[in-house]
Amino acid sequence: MESRPVVASAHRHDAWCIVVTTRLPAPHLLRPIALLALVLFSLGPMLLLVLQSFAFGWRWPTLWPDTLQLDAWRNVSSGTLGRGLFTSAGLAIATTCAAVLFALPIARGMATLPRPWSHIAAALVFLPVAAPPIALGAGLHVVALQLGVAGSWSGVWLAHCVPAVGYATLVLTGVLSTRDARDEEVARTLGASAVHRWRYVLLPQLRGALTEAAAVAFLVSWAQVALTLLVGGGAVRALPIEVLALVRAGQETEAAVGAVLLVLPAMLALSALRRGAARV
Amino acid sequence: MSRSLTTPAASRLPLLAAALVAAPVLVGAGYAILASLGLAGPGQAANGMLDASRWHFVLSSRSTWWSIGWSLQVAIISTALATLGAVVVAAAFSTSTRADRWARGVATLPLPVPHLVAAASALLVLGQSGLLARIGYALGLVQTPADMPPLVYDAPGVGLMLTLAWKEWTFLALVAIAVRGSIGDLYDETATGLGARTWTRWRLVTWPLLWRGLLPSVIAVFVFALGSYEAAVLLAPVQPAPLPVLTMERFADPALARRGDAYVLALLALGIAALAVGLHEWSRARWSRLHTDTTRGASS
Repeated sequence: MESRPVVASAHRHDAWCIVVTTRLPAPHLLRPIALLALVLFSLGPMLLLVLQSFAFGWRWPTLWPDTLQLDAWRNVSSGTLGRGLFTSAGLAIATTCAAVLFALPIARGMATLPRPWSHIAAALVFLPVAAPPIALGAGLHVVALQLGVAGSWSGVWLAHCVPAVGYATLVLTGVLSTRDARDEEVARTLGASAVHRWRYVLLPQLRGALTEAAAVAFLVSWAQVALTLLVGGGAVRALPIEVLALVRAGQETEAAVGAVLLVLPAMLALSALRRGAARV
Repeated sequence: MSRSLTTPAASRLPLLAAALVAAPVLVGAGYAILASLGLAGPGQAANGMLDASRWHFVLSSRSTWWSIGWSLQVAIISTALATLGAVVVAAAFSTSTRADRWARGVATLPLPVPHLVAAASALLVLGQSGLLARIGYALGLVQTPADMPPLVYDAPGVGLMLTLAWKEWTFLALVAIAVRGSIGDLYDETATGLGARTWTRWRLVTWPLLWRGLLPSVIAVFVFALGSYEAAVLLAPVQPAPLPVLTMERFADPALARRGDAYVLALLALGIAALAVGLHEWSRARWSRLHTDTTRGASS
């Protein structure tokens, strides 16, 4: 009698095993199914956004919109999304340029630091990257107020530059610390000036890493919400701020258009990132 | 070679430059400390004396600890889910066949998707009249949107956890694939030669090496998940408010005196992030030491 529960449990276990093994697809089908699941999981939510951006009257409980139309897309150029797109593009391009310009000399210097200074420097650079955006924004708002640029485009740009420079420096330090610096030494002994060494040795060697750093800095600024809200004070209407407002207002089609607009340049930046990585 | 050219004064210069990058954060943190103590900013004490009442008020408030605990729980679970997904992809699609390379490419496609976009699409998928509910209706599982279990604005934060995990897993998959590639097959083959079975090889060889390489990125993902404002503001419940949302609410509070609370909360968030940075640097240094040792071991 005492062994009954154990036996029953064993039976249940065997039965479960039979159910599981009979329900599992054949081994040669597992891989295609896993691939399909991966594609659906990775791309499904994005494809849904694209579909929603064309949807007109997608009522419960239909699986497909009643009508597909281009109205929301046509309104981009004349509406708030168009203005937001323009503001975001300007901010992201200006932030990318500044981040790479500042990060390159900083990373070059950091790559020459011995331990433990290299770790301390890396931790310092990592600070603006790791600081929660809201905490960072609360502090940067004060700096922007002191400089008289709070609530302005230039204030938001400065705020975006802080994490962007951190990210770009980390990317470039990683590459510079493993680079063979002897080419530069040879150029120096052959009489090349500092400008020539930068122009003909360093920059060609770092083209891939610079593309990577630029792409990362662009992405940091392009998707920034918290810093734009806190330092911009609602006056700087970048694209993410417009999309956030549309989502919260329940305007699903317009929000989806804005979300797709946010993703497209980010995808382009990723392909630049991959090209850069392939060159390193 | 470059080190031999460095003078002591010049070696201090890069450190100063790194400090310059961190300066806005440090200045901001300094101001936040002063503002939280009533020495500056909104809610400044009239007599200019140090006033710790903001700290006392925030730290003794139940909503603060509820918010911190809830945010930590969401960040930990979403990071764990993202890590699991990344490790599965790195392990399942690790060969150099075309299908595996294609799968790895697909897995990392959502990498540049902003948190805001991930949250917007999560509302379309997980909302009570979202795609899952519609599929449930088509399958006869739900009849009205109210029948669908709430996955957004829900108390446990399931929707937020899933969204953060979906957003971050691609980054971790990218790192896991790179780490898996750098480990190579030498250790696996040695273990196989010594009679280890698949699961034993995975448990005792692949996983420890993969985990050590992945740990700095896991910590970074945890910090991002903890600090994400836009996903939290769109998907989290009103009570408890996630830490970034609570901070933003206090920061924009019409009652100026309450804005001091925002600085206390921001400092708490910064403290957690600083702990994570320390952990990140420690694990990075540990990994680079281990990597050097294993490379030496493999080459000898």
